Amino acid sequence: MAKQTIEITVNGDRYEVAIDPWRSLAEVLREDLRLTGTKIGCNQGDCGACTVLINGRSVSSCLTLAVEAHQREVTTIEGLAKTPQELHPIQEAFVEKGAVQCGFCTGGMIMSAKHLLDKNPQPTELEIRQGLSGNLCRCTGYNKIVEAIGDAARRLNPAKEGQ
Amino acid sequence: MLLPRFEYHRPARLDEALAILAQHQGQAAVLAGGTDLLVGMKHKLMKPAHVVGLEALEGFGQIQEQEGMLLLGPMLTASALAGEPGVRARATALALGAGVLGSPQVRNRATVGGNVCNARPAADMCVPLLALGATALLQSAHGAREVPLSEFFLGPGRTVRTPGELLCGVKLPAGGPGVGSGYQKLGLRQALEIALVNVAAFVALEDDGQTVKTARVALGAVAPTPILSPGAEAALTGQVISEELIRQAAQAAAADARPIDDHRGSADFRRQEVLVLTRRALQQAWQAARQD
Ligand SMILES: Cc1cc2nc3c(=O)[nH]c(=O)nc-3n(C[C@H](O)[C@H](O)[C@H](O)COP(=O)(O)OP(=O)(O)OC[C@H]3O[C@@H](n4cnc5c(N)ncnc54)[C@H](O)[C@@H]3O)c2cc1C
Ligand code: FES
Ligand code: FES
Repeated sequence: MAKQTIEITVNGDRYEVAIDPWRSLAEVLREDLRLTGTKIGCNQGDCGACTVLINGRSVSSCLTLAVEAHQREVTTIEGLAKTPQELHPIQEAFVEKGAVQCGFCTGGMIMSAKHLLDKNPQPTELEIRQGLSGNLCRCTGYNKIVEAIGDAARRLNPAKEGQ
Repeated sequence: MLLPRFEYHRPARLDEALAILAQHQGQAAVLAGGTDLLVGMKHKLMKPAHVVGLEALEGFGQIQEQEGMLLLGPMLTASALAGEPGVRARATALALGAGVLGSPQVRNRATVGGNVCNARPAADMCVPLLALGATALLQSAHGAREVPLSEFFLGPGRTVRTPGELLCGVKLPAGGPGVGSGYQKLGLRQALEIALVNVAAFVALEDDGQTVKTARVALGAVAPTPILSPGAEAALTGQVISEELIRQAAQAAAADARPIDDHRGSADFRRQEVLVLTRRALQQAWQAARQD
């Protein structure tokens, strides 16, 4: 069974990689592209640690074949900030609100938050919780994560503050 | 948990896809969103030598409306169906079911075709589609056929689809004035949960706005497949709709349910929940039918 060559754009960079078709996108991101911010927890769609955006939509990269990302745009946690020296406002809010403990869920949480805020820039607390319903955290108890995302929404929409 | 090895095919045209399925009869698995198939393959429940991805097939993600029918492409995702105003208005129960399936990440991948072909008794799109009177459009290299969903499911994970056939769409009557549907799901938690019981209801009223012309109640997780309740249909059809009539129909639905005891809930509890959820789903459907 031959390898297949795919072209993918990850965080704005174009890659051409020859891969076995049975490998998941999560594996190829971590092992071939060395983007290890995407974590593999349950490996079956339940925990959200492997969440990335494909063409702007959040998906579990453990349940996506890498070959399915052919000619698509993938965004991982490494590509969220504009430059490697900066943090994205969602990342800043997570740090400042203490929403990170062991960090294993954090990349996936932030990618889900990104998907949510792109669709709904001013979510209610319930909408934030629903937006995170595919991400498990064993450390924080979620409250600080929910607060951080509310805070990030205000950072991303400063004009709307106080409304 | 690694995936077993396979050859991947990415057909761009329907005839190509059908030819691949015909060539590898029984050895090829169709891949839509992968949220059932890849989990099953990781657990080594199946080891197809060929996987046929539908991602590049043209037109498989479209919604069309013609002659009062909605035609849904099999690759429409749960998020697309939940968010699409046309589906919310004309096939409300389906939009509601799609909106509570899994998690955001799952909804962004899970397709209606995958939900129907996977045929779980509690599937969040199958139960609404059954109530809405949907038909499966199947095609193989040898021809096409249409199968009403009420005859499509054979058992958990089993359908009348043969390995050479592709589900190319789902067709259902588009709702309009005097027509409404509703969906109710009970789980043990609020997200990432397969229903303990789920119920979808459909009501079409006569021009007088109160006599029931057609009604269907579909029940999930109370039989080996999603089932229609003939009792509820008989109780409602031709009658003037009222809270009392809805209560009678809900009782008939509970009598039609054939639940079992399992680790998630007892049969008695499930039957009781059928009663409650049917009442709520019918109220939702009636409300929607009165509104437009
Ligand atoms: C974490 C998680 C949570 C979930 N929660 C829910 C839930 O709450 N409710 C629920 O109903 N389901 C749930 N599911 C199950 C699953 O997401 C749904 O059944 C989904 O709709 C399957 O669609 P898919 O596109 O991913 O299918 P796939 O996995 O790609 O395919 C499913 C099956 O259908 C076949 N198939 C797919 N498309 C076609 C076609 N066009 N023609 C012929 N055969 C086809 C495949 O070969 C396979 O056998 C969950 C899954 C996960 C991983
Ligand atoms: S590792 Fe993908 S969802 Fe858990
Ligand atoms: S911070 Fe440890 S799992 Fe969330």
